[in-house]
Amino acid sequence: MSEKQALRIENLKKSYPGVKALKGVNVSFNEGEVHGLIGENGAGKSTLIKILAGIVKADTGSFFIRDEEITIRSSKDSSSNGLSFIHQELNLVTYFNAMENIFLGHSYPRRFGPLVDWKALKKRTQKITDTLQVSFPLDRPVSYLSAVDRAMVAIARAFAVDGNVYFMDEPATALTDIEKEKLFSVIKNLKAQGKTVVYVSHNLDDVLQITDRITVMRDGAVVECKKTSEMTKDTLISSMIGKDLESSFPKRLGSPAETLLSVSHLSNSHIRDLSFSLRAGEILGIGGLVGSGRTELLESIFGSRALFSGEMLLEGDSYKPSSPKDAIASGVVLVPEERRKQGLVMSRSIFENISMMSLADLSHGGLLDHQAIKERSHEAGDKVRLKSADYRNHVGTLSGGNQQKVVFAKTVLQQPKVLMLDEPSKGVDVGARFEIYSIIQELAASGTGVIIVSSDFNEVLGLADRIVFIKDGYQTFEKENSDIDQESYLNYCYGRELS
Amino acid sequence: MKQTALDNDKEKRTGAFIRTWGTLIGFLLLMTIFSAIRPDVFPSGRNLKNIIEQVATLSIVASGVTVVMITGDFDLSVGAIASLVGIVTALLMKAGMGTFASILIGLTLGTSAGLLNGLIIAYGGLSAFVGTLATMTAYSGAALLISKGTTVFGLPENFRFLGQGSLGFLPISVIIMLLTLLGIYILLEQTTFGRRLYAIGGNEEASFLSGIRTKQIRFIAFGISGFFASLGGIVLTSRLYSAHPQAGSPFMLNAAAAVFLGMTAFREGEANVWGTLLGVLIMGVMGNGLNILGINTYAQSILTGVIIVLAVLLSSLAKKKA
Ligand SMILES: Nc1ncnc2c1ncn2[C@@H]1O[C@H](COP(=O)(O)OP(=O)(O)OP(=O)(O)O)[C@@H](O)[C@H]1O
Ligand SMILES: [Mg+2]
Repeated sequence: MSEKQALRIENLKKSYPGVKALKGVNVSFNEGEVHGLIGENGAGKSTLIKILAGIVKADTGSFFIRDEEITIRSSKDSSSNGLSFIHQELNLVTYFNAMENIFLGHSYPRRFGPLVDWKALKKRTQKITDTLQVSFPLDRPVSYLSAVDRAMVAIARAFAVDGNVYFMDEPATALTDIEKEKLFSVIKNLKAQGKTVVYVSHNLDDVLQITDRITVMRDGAVVECKKTSEMTKDTLISSMIGKDLESSFPKRLGSPAETLLSVSHLSNSHIRDLSFSLRAGEILGIGGLVGSGRTELLESIFGSRALFSGEMLLEGDSYKPSSPKDAIASGVVLVPEERRKQGLVMSRSIFENISMMSLADLSHGGLLDHQAIKERSHEAGDKVRLKSADYRNHVGTLSGGNQQKVVFAKTVLQQPKVLMLDEPSKGVDVGARFEIYSIIQELAASGTGVIIVSSDFNEVLGLADRIVFIKDGYQTFEKENSDIDQESYLNYCYGRELS
Repeated sequence: MKQTALDNDKEKRTGAFIRTWGTLIGFLLLMTIFSAIRPDVFPSGRNLKNIIEQVATLSIVASGVTVVMITGDFDLSVGAIASLVGIVTALLMKAGMGTFASILIGLTLGTSAGLLNGLIIAYGGLSAFVGTLATMTAYSGAALLISKGTTVFGLPENFRFLGQGSLGFLPISVIIMLLTLLGIYILLEQTTFGRRLYAIGGNEEASFLSGIRTKQIRFIAFGISGFFASLGGIVLTSRLYSAHPQAGSPFMLNAAAAVFLGMTAFREGEANVWGTLLGVLIMGVMGNGLNILGINTYAQSILTGVIIVLAVLLSSLAKKKA
């Protein structure tokens, strides 16, 4: 490995009202290196990256490329210095197509003077998608693309112009394993070309797999920086959260009781004839590949997607939600897949977001009960270990993982009968993930039925009592989760059963 | 790039201060300037009362528009609703119907007109701009048709009370304005309805998935806007003691301008009722002050436009600093 520095950061500081996000960070990234950057939610990783991208202004700090100081005042400065970015939050213009999104902010190829050369643009886009080995429709507004494809568009943006240092802030949270492998091979290629990749993730296995060196941040400071070969998952966790974590999954409490929800022959444009039941206190996993209809199934039960046919019974009574409002009123709630788009109102306070689903309970005759809102929100927030200086702050000021906890807190406040989780730990750090798993277990132990969808199969295997597998909208298997290992799990997802 | 953290902190706090209070300070500055130039006329009790009375109707209408604009919608039809309701109420009274009953019918008509907007936009899926542009045209057409394009005079004596009477030293129109502001404030800040409005304005999809009936709330918001537009129209008719089929048309732009000005005050980029009041006052003081200085009304319009741009610009600059 060459030891030449591609980028060095000295004494970087940034504070927000009430929070010191970065307290004098010193770190350097070498050429030809894949560098892991990890730390708890709110440790300051994204802030560091946003400063380098010219989106956020630092309070103090200097940057050096090959020992020459550079200034970063805007995203232009940043990209002209060879820095490329995949940001944690998808920031796509939803009514632009993939090409337009990928080249947003960069100059388009032109012809006849000022006219955009769409053909050339398409060619350049295809070159990028070829390197990434992905294909998604280039001409349709990205709002029509699947969540995975949207994530790939965001990734492709980093490759609109050639860079020297690529910053990837949790690029893989919305990807399937297949896309993730593609991304990893792209990273390897970059490394072979002598470029630098800074990889931020809460998936420590990934970090250990692909990086050469790892920097651990805690509370806005660097606490450790070592070669990956000298680190293990346990040492990473203990330096991240400042203590050891015995296991990734809390102990299973209680056991399932009588049937709570049963669905039969559910069908619509994405799912075909699905039937299963959920018992009170049970954690049911829905296994399958991205695009198999898992999300659509949850949405159908939640009333946000219409059913063509099928029946549902909740506690023995007919359950026919025509909107999320009906579902919530019946005690069926959903933690949706995309928190920014579906889960949160960024411009409103944490209080308002947590209480949003429960306003009817937190008011008297339409008048808000501010005291109750305050108490119950804090209660729910504490339960998920939400880290925030003040619940009156906008949700947009929270770190990504803490935003996810707000979505979670919102549904927990409801004391749901049926809790459906679509990618519940997206962007959540190991410590808090354990907390969230504990809450899921506690809720189940108190009689809530839980349905969980996750592209992290360890999560499904670690939590679920039983797993229903679906493929292309059809139900393929239903298995007790007693002797399923990772390999057989994947086989079931692909609709294969090995003997 | 290199700056001490202390400087930076100070700068940030100044930024936040300007963001919250800048528009109010601008307003006070405006008052001070006019008072300094014409100390004999402008700050006199009579003139100030005059200003308040002048802006009372606008602030009633603008309060309603605030509700609609919180969800990200827009209402171009308030001026036309005010005119239409003014005409209808006036004609009903002339036809011999009791004053109170006529007013009640007028309010019902205006609220229904607003709800029709809501129906077209929230349930029909038209954009608020296009939807209310269309109904604005239709409502003003109706006002002109019913009145045959002429001013309606000869209203009953007891109808003067709303726009011209007073209770002690407080004009009735100002009392109605204060009650409206208070009512809207309570609605926005103290009720679940208000919370839901702001939530929809911030993220409609997330609101829907949180169990909020987003269409219904937007529908009702248009109804509220229609109600206050008609209330403003009735008070205006009483103040003028006659109804003209286009009397309300200045409301359309002025109410929107006031809400936009108000979005620069107290809260960042969000419509709020005290901001709207401030916006209305700024426009009222500008009009009155420039009148006193003898500046011609056409030039006044230009200046008002400039002021709006400046206010919004300044507040967005302060925002960037943070
Ligand atoms: N715009 C903002 N206003 C106020 N505080 C902010 C803002 N952006 C970030 N913060 C705070 O700065 C701290 C660091 O946030 P940052 O997003 O960098 O964390 P992170 O390490 O990326 O966390 P995660 O793993 O959850 O993504 C957090 O405490 C966060 O609340
Ligand atoms: Mg982050």
